[in-house]
Amino acid sequence: MKTYNITVNGKTYSVNVEEVGVGSAPTAAPAPAPVAAAPGPAPVAAPAPAPAPAPAPTAAPVAAGSAVVTCPMPGTILDIIAKVGSQVKEGDVLLILEAMKMENEIMAPCDGVVSQISVTVGASVNTGDTLVVL
Amino acid sequence: MNELEKLRAKKAHIQAGGGQKRIDDQHNKGKLTARERINLLFDEGSFVELDTFVRHRCTNFGMDKTEAPGEGVVTGYGRIDGRMVYAFAQDFTVLGGSLGEYHAEKIVKVQDAALRNGCPIIGLLDSGGARIQEGVNSLSGFGKIFYRNTISSGVIPQISAIMGPCAGGAVYSPAITDFIYMVDKTSYMYITGPDVIKTVTGETVTHDQLGGAKVHNSRSGVAHFIADSDADCIAQIRNLVSYLPSNNAENAPEYACSDDINRSCPELDTIIPDNPNKGYDMYDIIRSLVDNGEILDAQPLYAKNMITCFARMGGKTVGIIANQPKLMAGCLDVNASDKAARFIRRCDAFNIPMLTLVDVPGFLPGTGQEYDGIIRHGAKMLYAYSEATVPKITLVTRKAYGGAYIGMCCKELGADMSFAWPNAEIAVMGAEGAANIVFRRDIAASDNPEAKRQEKISEYKEKFNNPYAAASMGYVDDVIEPNESRIRIISALAICEGKRQSLPAKKHGNIPL
Repeated sequence: MKTYNITVNGKTYSVNVEEVGVGSAPTAAPAPAPVAAAPGPAPVAAPAPAPAPAPAPTAAPVAAGSAVVTCPMPGTILDIIAKVGSQVKEGDVLLILEAMKMENEIMAPCDGVVSQISVTVGASVNTGDTLVVL
Repeated sequence: MNELEKLRAKKAHIQAGGGQKRIDDQHNKGKLTARERINLLFDEGSFVELDTFVRHRCTNFGMDKTEAPGEGVVTGYGRIDGRMVYAFAQDFTVLGGSLGEYHAEKIVKVQDAALRNGCPIIGLLDSGGARIQEGVNSLSGFGKIFYRNTISSGVIPQISAIMGPCAGGAVYSPAITDFIYMVDKTSYMYITGPDVIKTVTGETVTHDQLGGAKVHNSRSGVAHFIADSDADCIAQIRNLVSYLPSNNAENAPEYACSDDINRSCPELDTIIPDNPNKGYDMYDIIRSLVDNGEILDAQPLYAKNMITCFARMGGKTVGIIANQPKLMAGCLDVNASDKAARFIRRCDAFNIPMLTLVDVPGFLPGTGQEYDGIIRHGAKMLYAYSEATVPKITLVTRKAYGGAYIGMCCKELGADMSFAWPNAEIAVMGAEGAANIVFRRDIAASDNPEAKRQEKISEYKEKFNNPYAAASMGYVDDVIEPNESRIRIISALAICEGKRQSLPAKKHGNIPL
């Protein structure tokens, strides 16, 4: 267990990061819910896992034969519909990207299983960023 | 053997191409032979072959003893739905379809004839490239072909189908033509192949990843159509020809229209979502408007935020340019601008009236776009629309903001008729952004800035985010009910049929390429 102090908008939060055993399944990075109830929780969640030895969501190399859904334009993630491990069909909506004041549906480019979701709700994303891996 | 039998034997020998073994190889790759393709392309029995007996004159490297039946290319003309069209088909079974001096001369002869006689020309390409034994003579052949592609551009429709390899300099003949088809999995196009790339940059890439049909249809924008098979490709080409005139002095053929030109489209009254931030599928609107819901989508997989397609309205071809709010908010970016600009120029060159459907939130902001030259690429759209003298009809279905509104063929760029639906928002920008700028001081000085902001946003919406401000100044000719759109557009196309507009005499303009 390691403790980090993270300052957001001048307010300091204490975040505990626990190292997870090698055997345990890497789930999507759990947001530190108890401390992140204050305004602006999203930025806390993103930097927290970085110094931790826990499996970072973006670290896994993309397996051969998988499809990477990248961000078509700069914007904010409004909603994530896809779930890791779920089966999707070509054209299924994976997540909603707010950009140009429009809610853009990001769709699966092919059939597959969602193996990784690389963003969280509220995250700012740029063109080319990996959003989902099938 | 009498003379007649001799002639028949000679022709039969040439028509057998590279022989049965090579024909079988071709079939095993899932490809048809040049002659099979030609026979599918033209109405049955209408093909007339030219230059059957042409032979090369190369003597290098044992070529004097090498026979190349038909010089590796079948050329001639025939009918597509009764209309005369020239074509050439490279024969991969003969020296790999390689392009030598006389192979090129055969192609050049049909190119010249197609231009002279005002007929479309279709190239079915399947070639290993330049015939290396012929050295610089084959390069000269390419140069002659590219030159004719360019001179014929905008005079006769030129269609290319890549049905096998097309590598190196050879890619520039299709690249100059109006439309490129590619057959999935059996065709590829690139300047330098995987082997050269491996030696020079160390990158490992397959033929298909580098220059396959999917890559060029979705990523590079080089190709416009993808086909599952040779037969599918040729059927698609025949369909495309039906939308195009034979040359720039004619109009596209008119077909009997079984769809009522006075058909009301009540489904369009409810198609726009109540929430202005939600997308919808512009294809639904297009299919409602056009005859029998039939469209021919050009570059459907590339820059999907912009739709460019052919359709018929009242039996006549119309080119449709439309924002797709469902994808990337329907914004204009580098690729969408390029795609639209080229399509607009195709329509204008071939006397095809244009319908522009507008729902555009603006140009896509960001360093990526600015560094890629959105100014230069966006300018192409403005240029292409302004320069086009065919009838131009514009319908604003929802958003039309700022420079993007102008870019989507507003009245000032020469729209002959401009309509808007009642929920249209024709303004410099969205109400929120506008209120924040215009009323910045008011909002800051207020006791309750948020309430003031909301008040000003509503005030701006009331004043500008509607079609009536534009209509009151004549920038929009009429605000119409969505259900009457088909009737009104067909009527607008009809009144513009006699449109004559000439531009100042010039050598050519200087479009910001």
